[in-house]
Amino acid sequence: MLNIDVRYQWFNQHGVDFEADYQAQLSPGLTTLLGASGEGKSTLLHLIGGFLQGSGCIQYLSQNLMTLAPYQRPVTTLFQSDNLFPQLSVWQNVGLGLATNLKLNPVQKKAVSWALERTQLTSMQAKKPEALSGGQAQRVAIARAIARAVVEQEEERKPILLLDEPFSALDPSLRAQMLMLVAELTQQLALTTLIVSHLPDEAKMVGGKLLLIEQGNVVLHDNVSILDQAENVPALTRYLNL
Amino acid sequence: MRLVFFGSMFVINMLPAMLIILVFSVVGIASFTALLLFQDLSNWYQVLSSRYIWRLLNFSLWQALLSSTLSLLIAIPVTSALMHRRFKGRDFLLQLFSISLVVPTIVAILGIVVVYGRSGWVTGVSGVELPLYGLFGILLAHVFFNMPLAVRILIQAHGLIPAGQWRLSYQLGFSRWNLFRWVEWPYLRKALPGAFLLIFMLCFSSFAVVLTLGGGPKSSTLEVAIYQALRYEFDIAKASVLSLLQVFVCTLVAFLVYRFASVYQQDFSLKRLDSFPVKDSLKARCFDLCFLCLALLILLPPFIAILTPIFSPLFITTLWQENTWLALWVSIKIAFPSAVLSLVIAMAFVVMARACMDKPGWSWLPNKLEYMGGMILVLPSLVMATGLFLLLRNLGVAAFDLAYWVVVWVNAIMALPFVLRVILPTFYQQEKRYRKLYQSLGIRGVARFRLEWPMVRQAVAQACAYALLLSLGDMSVIALFGSQGLTSLPLYLFQLIGSYRIEQGACIAVILVLLCFVLFSLCSRVIGGKRNA
Repeated sequence: MLNIDVRYQWFNQHGVDFEADYQAQLSPGLTTLLGASGEGKSTLLHLIGGFLQGSGCIQYLSQNLMTLAPYQRPVTTLFQSDNLFPQLSVWQNVGLGLATNLKLNPVQKKAVSWALERTQLTSMQAKKPEALSGGQAQRVAIARAIARAVVEQEEERKPILLLDEPFSALDPSLRAQMLMLVAELTQQLALTTLIVSHLPDEAKMVGGKLLLIEQGNVVLHDNVSILDQAENVPALTRYLNL
Repeated sequence: MRLVFFGSMFVINMLPAMLIILVFSVVGIASFTALLLFQDLSNWYQVLSSRYIWRLLNFSLWQALLSSTLSLLIAIPVTSALMHRRFKGRDFLLQLFSISLVVPTIVAILGIVVVYGRSGWVTGVSGVELPLYGLFGILLAHVFFNMPLAVRILIQAHGLIPAGQWRLSYQLGFSRWNLFRWVEWPYLRKALPGAFLLIFMLCFSSFAVVLTLGGGPKSSTLEVAIYQALRYEFDIAKASVLSLLQVFVCTLVAFLVYRFASVYQQDFSLKRLDSFPVKDSLKARCFDLCFLCLALLILLPPFIAILTPIFSPLFITTLWQENTWLALWVSIKIAFPSAVLSLVIAMAFVVMARACMDKPGWSWLPNKLEYMGGMILVLPSLVMATGLFLLLRNLGVAAFDLAYWVVVWVNAIMALPFVLRVILPTFYQQEKRYRKLYQSLGIRGVARFRLEWPMVRQAVAQACAYALLLSLGDMSVIALFGSQGLTSLPLYLFQLIGSYRIEQGACIAVILVLLCFVLFSLCSRVIGGKRNA
């Protein structure tokens, strides 16, 4: 269970410009973060990932994450772009997620191979990212994320997966494939996955939960199926302009 | 098409610019031809078969290789440490790096002599006498000048690392070493060949350093040999052969520089902060500290040495001497006209280039201009001066009567690449953005200049300041053409170092540095306007 109770303030020259205040409890499984642009979806992801410092508490399995550096948190974030080091091969890019000096022990090597296999990248493991298509590149990032999520030592494991619209640059059918892959892996590996999206249809497609953000607040947290009765939910009618 | 280009109105408008460029080109080509005319085959054979030349060439290449390698070896960890750590005095260190790029060569040499020389600080403290005169001194001075240059180039390359890579490294928890290995090194590596070749070329054609610290014919370079052939042996044929040899090697190196040097972003800010903190360790801290201290140790003592004489009574005495004021006057008399000349020639190029921008078939020219300006660096100033000297002699003019104008001209030309580099982007941008507006409103000539001036004056001020500083610090052309009545501050300083009057030299160095500072700020204020002050 991931407990979120965190605030973040933006400042301008007159003082506090805008304050976000997020409260939610996420259970393992897939959750889609919806909301218009500028409402604070990515901010929440960055707060959980540790790239922004807010106040309050983020708890995972009774451990407070707020005081930890990003690399100490049980979290892997996938960004819109720049998830790979172009100077390293696919295999190395995945391996770095387990040992930053790339000196992998046999177990870790096996984990890399397994992750590449699960993402159908085994044949490309020696290639450099520039030789990959956009979808393949993001699959490498997913491979790294799942390799990190199944590490044997519990304190090293990263079972929370945050996706900040990582597939927005892909064409619709490929995007659907990638989302289905993430959904499948989330279920099989019991991950806690948060996906930022601006397409309600994507949320419907992958299922799971839905979190609607409005002006830095969580205004709705429910099953995705609620989208089918959107006209009865004020927050959704505002968001969808119904 | 060409007819349109050379339409009569166009020619009249462009006439002043064309004339200036014509004079510039004719003088350049004629000087080079004069240099070539002094060649004959037997001469070449004689020079190439002498062991002296081969030793000269050998030493020139060897010291350049060592200097550039050392500079880069220190610059890589220093760059990395500077970009990672935020500490008190970091801005000061960055300032120190930029200052050492503009401080006049001879002044810095003096600082090095005061610190490491026979009766210098190091000897005074430790009792060990360092073999300053020879390879050691040359390397020390070259590292002093070029390590900061290397750091600046590498910082630019470092800035090209996408923010996303830092974020990702932060997420994965890279240690300091792994961060360097996986992220920084691949980017820095790309900048290394260009930086290496540039520094190699600068060291290969280094003049003042080798002349002052070389300490004899054993450690001499081609550039110094040209000077000696002209100044002491009056052997023009030999100087001519040596000059061509020099140009040949420099062209070869320059060709390689342009092959390998990658294009860098303009207007790069040193203070940009987009990196995330690294996972730190004691070892990493020590490592960074060591290299930052090393950089400080190389750079700081000579600077302190330069500035200490302000408090000595000798400084007042020196101020009262007539020679000091004469040298100061000569320096100003050279620096101002050459800066103006440099700006005028650069403006002629700018005007022509802007006119070519929308002319079909000519639009390639503006983009190549900065490149072509840079090629001037291939021609060492001594070689250029030698050519001009020979040209004027062929024309029957006693060159030493015209020494002053030769010095002014060559200084102006040497500053041209830097001036162009500063003003071209600004003027091009104005043209690209507002050309159609100006055309539609029919604003031309002076009216347009008055509208544009507020937008370009900062760039012009900076270019002018560069040109001033370069001619103020010049120690090669003036060494060749200087005489009793034409002794600039750097030359005077050189003479004082040569006669071991180091203390007095230090006072002159202070005056020269102050002059540089005053003229630089004056330039920024008067030309650059209040905003720049």
